[in-house]
Amino acid sequence: MALMPEAGLDITAPETSPASGSWASPGVRYVVRRILAAVATLIFVVLFNFFLFRMLPGDPVKLYTRGRNVDPEQVRKLTAALNRPLGQQFLDYIRNPFAANVDSVKYSQPVWSVIGERVWPTLLLVGVATLIATVVGVWLGIRSAWNRGERFDRISTNTTLVLYSMPEFWLGMILLIVLGVGVFGLPGLFPTGGLSTPGVDTSSLRGWLDVAWHLFLPVTTLAIVYLAEYSLVMRASLIDEMGQDYLQTARAKGLMDKLVRRRHAVPNALLPTMTLIFLNLGFVVGGAITIEYVFSIPGLGGLTVDALSGPDVPLLQALFLLFSAAVILANLIADLLYARLDPRVRT
Amino acid sequence: MRARIDLSRAALLAGAATLTLSAAFTGAAHADSASPTPSAPPSVLTIGVTQDIDSANPFTGLSSVAYEVFQMQYPTLTQYAASDFSIVPGVADSWQESPDHTTWTFKVHPGLKWSDGQPMTAKDVAYTFNRILNGEYEKTNYGSYVANMTKVEATDDTTVVFTVSKPTPVMDHLYVFILPEHIWSKIDEKAVTNYKNEGTPTDPTVGSGPYTMVERKVGQFIRMKANPNWRDGQRAVGEIDFKIFQNADAMGQALKKGEIDFAEGLETTVWNSLKGVEGITTVAATPASFSELAFNTGAALADGKPIGDGNPLLKDKALRQALAYSIDKQTMVAKVLGGQGTPGSTVIPPLYNQWHVDPATPFAYDPAKAQSLLDAAGYKVGSDGVRVDSKGDRLSFRLLFRTDNPLSPKAAEFLKGYLQAVGVEVTLKGVSEDALTETIGQGNFDMFEWGWGVEPDPNYMLSTFKCENRSYVESGTVYANLSDSFYCDPAYDALFDQQSQETDQAKRADIVKQMQQKLYDDVPYIVTYYANNHEAYRSDRFQGFVPQPAKDGTLIYQWGSWSYQAVTPYVAPTTPDGASTADQSSSKTPLIVGAVVGVVVVVLAFVFLMRRRTAGAGVASDDKE
Repeated sequence: MALMPEAGLDITAPETSPASGSWASPGVRYVVRRILAAVATLIFVVLFNFFLFRMLPGDPVKLYTRGRNVDPEQVRKLTAALNRPLGQQFLDYIRNPFAANVDSVKYSQPVWSVIGERVWPTLLLVGVATLIATVVGVWLGIRSAWNRGERFDRISTNTTLVLYSMPEFWLGMILLIVLGVGVFGLPGLFPTGGLSTPGVDTSSLRGWLDVAWHLFLPVTTLAIVYLAEYSLVMRASLIDEMGQDYLQTARAKGLMDKLVRRRHAVPNALLPTMTLIFLNLGFVVGGAITIEYVFSIPGLGGLTVDALSGPDVPLLQALFLLFSAAVILANLIADLLYARLDPRVRT
Repeated sequence: MRARIDLSRAALLAGAATLTLSAAFTGAAHADSASPTPSAPPSVLTIGVTQDIDSANPFTGLSSVAYEVFQMQYPTLTQYAASDFSIVPGVADSWQESPDHTTWTFKVHPGLKWSDGQPMTAKDVAYTFNRILNGEYEKTNYGSYVANMTKVEATDDTTVVFTVSKPTPVMDHLYVFILPEHIWSKIDEKAVTNYKNEGTPTDPTVGSGPYTMVERKVGQFIRMKANPNWRDGQRAVGEIDFKIFQNADAMGQALKKGEIDFAEGLETTVWNSLKGVEGITTVAATPASFSELAFNTGAALADGKPIGDGNPLLKDKALRQALAYSIDKQTMVAKVLGGQGTPGSTVIPPLYNQWHVDPATPFAYDPAKAQSLLDAAGYKVGSDGVRVDSKGDRLSFRLLFRTDNPLSPKAAEFLKGYLQAVGVEVTLKGVSEDALTETIGQGNFDMFEWGWGVEPDPNYMLSTFKCENRSYVESGTVYANLSDSFYCDPAYDALFDQQSQETDQAKRADIVKQMQQKLYDDVPYIVTYYANNHEAYRSDRFQGFVPQPAKDGTLIYQWGSWSYQAVTPYVAPTTPDGASTADQSSSKTPLIVGAVVGVVVVVLAFVFLMRRRTAGAGVASDDKE
């Protein structure tokens, strides 16, 4: 960000344009507009959620108690409790969609505490993977574009193309078998699933290392898949940028090649990648269902699949509220940041 | 600028170094915990399962693993014997029904203790049953056991007296987990709905069984530690862990690798791949379940009011019987189950041999006979090859199968083939179990493929065919009840009521067998097969699992905690001492070295690459200009 002024992207530049009777500067208005839009979207999602999940077929009580020695009378009572009149359900829901005392049907626990137990594995897995993928992916993309057609670019682009087209669960299974189980007489280096070893205290240093050891394969898999995407997008946008006249000017000023790249080309080319990263960040919370499944990680992705069977409507509702809120928030941040990076967007 | 580049590279290097270190550390940490000393026997039995517990609260949990945990923690009054499901003492040493069938007196084993040292007495038993009797939420899992009870009383520390309103055969095998009053009395009826009952290392769950819970990590594992106050004394295996795998293939691999010692609920393909692996014993257990092709025999509410859009032709018993001859169950076992199972007959699986009956005149696979029976019943082959009844209505049915189960689509394909071969048109449709539950309840189906798990007591399974357990209406909406074939026969209901009040087991078994025979002959279901349950374990590490029943029984997921009480570490016949364990610990060392070397190579390659790039950067771009 320190590079911004030289790149001519200083957003403090075009101060209050003489807009007629405006109550605030365009920058502030832009921010307010974005926030209002985000809130409106969230309200829509809240309403939409309610009806969406009530359209799912199913009879959760019957399904959960099937084959169990549950008194039919009791099943009736439970079913009746779940199937209160729609209007009443809606009122209860709308009063506070984030209410803490709504219980999941399946787990008989407040939905947010069920989610709370599962959110950390997901954040850890997808968060770390996204971070690694962003740093390495952007770096690879810049290098490739700047040295277009050279060996580094050829190798990197071909590799990332191959990686990008790989289904992530497939890549996950391959890594699991090669590095987790071991092939050709080689021992498996990493665990075949889970997030920690039973009996190891996860609050100790050893516990942290244990978690890192368990996360290695899933994070690597996810990072590889994301990385490929970021690297390709970054490469393409930087190549676009490289043909621009202002770079010639910069070079003509006698700037070192490295400086031309870092101060002028890259900040401008970053925009599409930024958008992509923030879009993906919003989905971080949603988890990576396939990777969670392959590596048996108890994240929100798996929880959503569980909740869909039944269906466990209160839990599903809360999950989708969370996912939507995360995407909306990430988009909002992306919008605001974009405006900072590119003043053209602000007006 | 120079500084910045160095910084970023330093950061990368630091990151890489951390990775190397962590790999080395955790490798070492793991090696530590896995094999303390080369010759010491393993003291932690790790069981791989494919499902988590839904709740550790015995009033809430329903999943198989949850029941496994309850059984380990909370013995019941009486138990089902490992050998043959006969009824044997549990918490109670003896029990007696009064001659007038109104009271049952249980003598509780004296001197029992809870895992926290408190005495366990008849008062705890009475507390548990009264809590269910007087509770609302508490009835969810146990309501049917207390249905006839009017009073439960501990007359002294070793005697509990139950008063029942009518003769109740289930009284000598009440599958209710006895809970400690001094813990549960603090959890009121409101708090109990959300109570987790999860033990922690500092505050383990209080139970009286061989193991109690000391830790649960949602979706990852459950740790059970040996109860120091268990009535039979110290256990050879100090800890039993359940490790949850969503990925069944990975679970099989984990067993091969030795990360887990037991794998439960393996898919046939994975199980086959474990056969013959050194140190692993595979088990194909006879199941307490069956799969069926169910017919809509006339969907209606409990009061007889018809519902749904089922094809009315299937109400004809003669038609269903004819169709029963068209199904080649033997081939289905071979092709759908890969040979892992037995052809089905009645709704009480053969492992419960005191209840199961082999039908007197089985519907043996005979398509020619099916055809001639259909002809005789008035279903002539129409111009398009599909049979029609006298009014010209075609034998054209929808068959719903479950998309959530890998075997169901396969089974449905076979069923369709067999039915078509005798002139019945079948349209297949895959749906989720959720959707199917609802569709069945509304009566909007002709046939479906599903199955049931069956308890050692036949009461519940048989009750699903009662008239009164058909769907019901509440505030204008139709809800599913237990019945999914809508079978209704007053004669069957009469038999049901008779068996439900017969406390002489031999007499009751006679009635139960008649009922099975009746269901078999009336064909609301065609029981297709009993699919084996697949288990495998490291027989080079543990031994002494007790199958239930004795012949081809399951080793875990039993009725009772038999295997957990008996399992011991494997002791090699005293040849070169502890050869196998020594092997395992030494194999850890190259593992760590491998990890470290691998990461170091990657880091070096990376650094090298960066060097070259930085060094050549100026030249390269000059070339381009």
